[in-house]
Amino acid sequence: MIYRAIIADDEKELRTYLKNMLAETWPELEICGEAVNGREALEMVDAFAPQIAFLDIKMPGLSGLDVAKNIAGICRIVFVTAFDQYAVEAFEREAVDYLVKPVTKKRLVQTIHRLKKQLQSSPEPQAGLAEMITQLLANLQINASAEYLQWIKTQHKENVRLIPVEEVDYFQAEDKYTLVITAKEEALIKKSIKELSRELDPQKFWQIHRGTIVNVSRIEMVGRSLTGRGILKLKNRSNSLTVSRQYLHLFKQM
Amino acid sequence: MMQERYETEFIFKYWLNFKNVFVDFIIIIIINTLIALAVDAIRHDNNFLLNFVVSQSFGLAVSLMILLSLLIFRPQTWKSLLFIAFIDICLGVFVGLQICIFILQYFFHIVIDLKIHGLGLTFMTSGIILSSIIFYFFMTKLRLKYRSEMIEQEKIKHAAMEKEYLSANLKMLQAQIEPHFLFNTLSNILSLIDTQPAKGKSMLLDLTKILRTSLSRTMPEQTTLSQEISMIEAYLHIQKIRMDERLNYEIDVPDNIRQYSFPPMLLQPLVENAIKHGLEPKVEGGEIVIRATEENNILTIKVADTGLGFSDFDKAGVGIANVRKRLGLLFGEKGRLIIEENKPHGVQATIEVPINDL
Repeated sequence: MIYRAIIADDEKELRTYLKNMLAETWPELEICGEAVNGREALEMVDAFAPQIAFLDIKMPGLSGLDVAKNIAGICRIVFVTAFDQYAVEAFEREAVDYLVKPVTKKRLVQTIHRLKKQLQSSPEPQAGLAEMITQLLANLQINASAEYLQWIKTQHKENVRLIPVEEVDYFQAEDKYTLVITAKEEALIKKSIKELSRELDPQKFWQIHRGTIVNVSRIEMVGRSLTGRGILKLKNRSNSLTVSRQYLHLFKQM
Repeated sequence: MMQERYETEFIFKYWLNFKNVFVDFIIIIIINTLIALAVDAIRHDNNFLLNFVVSQSFGLAVSLMILLSLLIFRPQTWKSLLFIAFIDICLGVFVGLQICIFILQYFFHIVIDLKIHGLGLTFMTSGIILSSIIFYFFMTKLRLKYRSEMIEQEKIKHAAMEKEYLSANLKMLQAQIEPHFLFNTLSNILSLIDTQPAKGKSMLLDLTKILRTSLSRTMPEQTTLSQEISMIEAYLHIQKIRMDERLNYEIDVPDNIRQYSFPPMLLQPLVENAIKHGLEPKVEGGEIVIRATEENNILTIKVADTGLGFSDFDKAGVGIANVRKRLGLLFGEKGRLIIEENKPHGVQATIEVPINDL
């Protein structure tokens, strides 16, 4: 039986390289398609129904892992990656086939050997592969998530500008909008204080009032007013901020 | 408590220096003379010589006693220092009185009867009051001196720390060659060796250039913009081979601007960012334009891409934050990094630096 395979990689040279290597080590294998991105790879799997897919992980549009999730039950997958510590560890753990770029002949021969054996023993891809890939994706996503807001998008004349959150002195509620105050400028954004308080890193930004979130690194001094509320003096700013009673505990340990 | 000790310690060190002691004694002699003149003016008794001898002997006796006893006892708290000084002042005034009586009698044949008009008591009390005021003046002077010296030291320490941080930061940035980029490039070279050896060779040379810059530990802190641009060109050559028709780029930096010295690793991260988060993840790819202009002594370098825009930008945090931090440390308020949306799509990063500070 002649097996068919597709190669998906956004880099032309690397597709050629893998194709030539395969021609050398597995001449009977027919490369029925070369995809330049994830979406093309999916289309080719649909169109040619290959038994094997060599998928580069980092591709524009859909990544190799995203493609794998969709075709796991349909064909056998070999991931190809340049350098990705997390991914390689995950592959090892889930016993998924993978190749590391630059692909060496020795390693490719091993992979081919295993593929041939699997294809001969059961022509259908093993049932567990889909779950394996899902598990794999879940593992990899853990490493990628849990990011706090890094940038504040503001309108600057006709342009949209990104302000890094570290540059913000404080956020002040202004009706439905929020005023972003930095050393150099002020800008209104549509995000509410409530949304911001959820998205900002709580280690670096403290809500000190219903309408105020302050950048902790900008605090110079904490004082107390006659009425028992806190007063914050920020570095290089003349105005001071009020800390309402319910947030005063934040400063107790200081 | 520690602060107090440092302050008193500072006073010892200050007075252990002969030059400082000499200057302070000159000051005391001048003050004594002024006091004598003032007393002379108030009393109209035309006896300046008498006043002069009295005030000098009081003043010098008190000063010497304070100096010696402080250097001998070395009090560590202000309380003990003031206590010792007060005893010194009382004793010093008494000794000074004896000395001046002796001098006046022996050299000028003037006999003072201390009992007339309570002269002895007047001398003693005014001596103690004036000495205390002068002592207070000296202590304040020394404390102020101590403070300003501390501030100076702090400043020096701070500046040294910042410099250290800058160079450490630079080394770290240089060493940050991405393994993904490296291995992908190597794979490309490996493939090109068989198919297009000339292209493979030029790619290898570009990679060598990047590696040399990244890995050299003794890189100068200041390089020219032209060096930085040639590094970026090498980087873009490689990316062009990798991404093929998905990447186009244009570098528009006039020759006169290329001659300016320019800190390394300020521009490179912006270009890398444009590729990594703008063009590489975009299916159609796009274009990068690097353009430098100068106006009103400000050098402006724009890195504009037509990539994915802000959507992938959240991941770009660290590299951009580093550029911003370095700009701040190198140029203060005058160095700016502005990240904007590029019309119609993509990101435009603009670096502004004062040419005079380059």
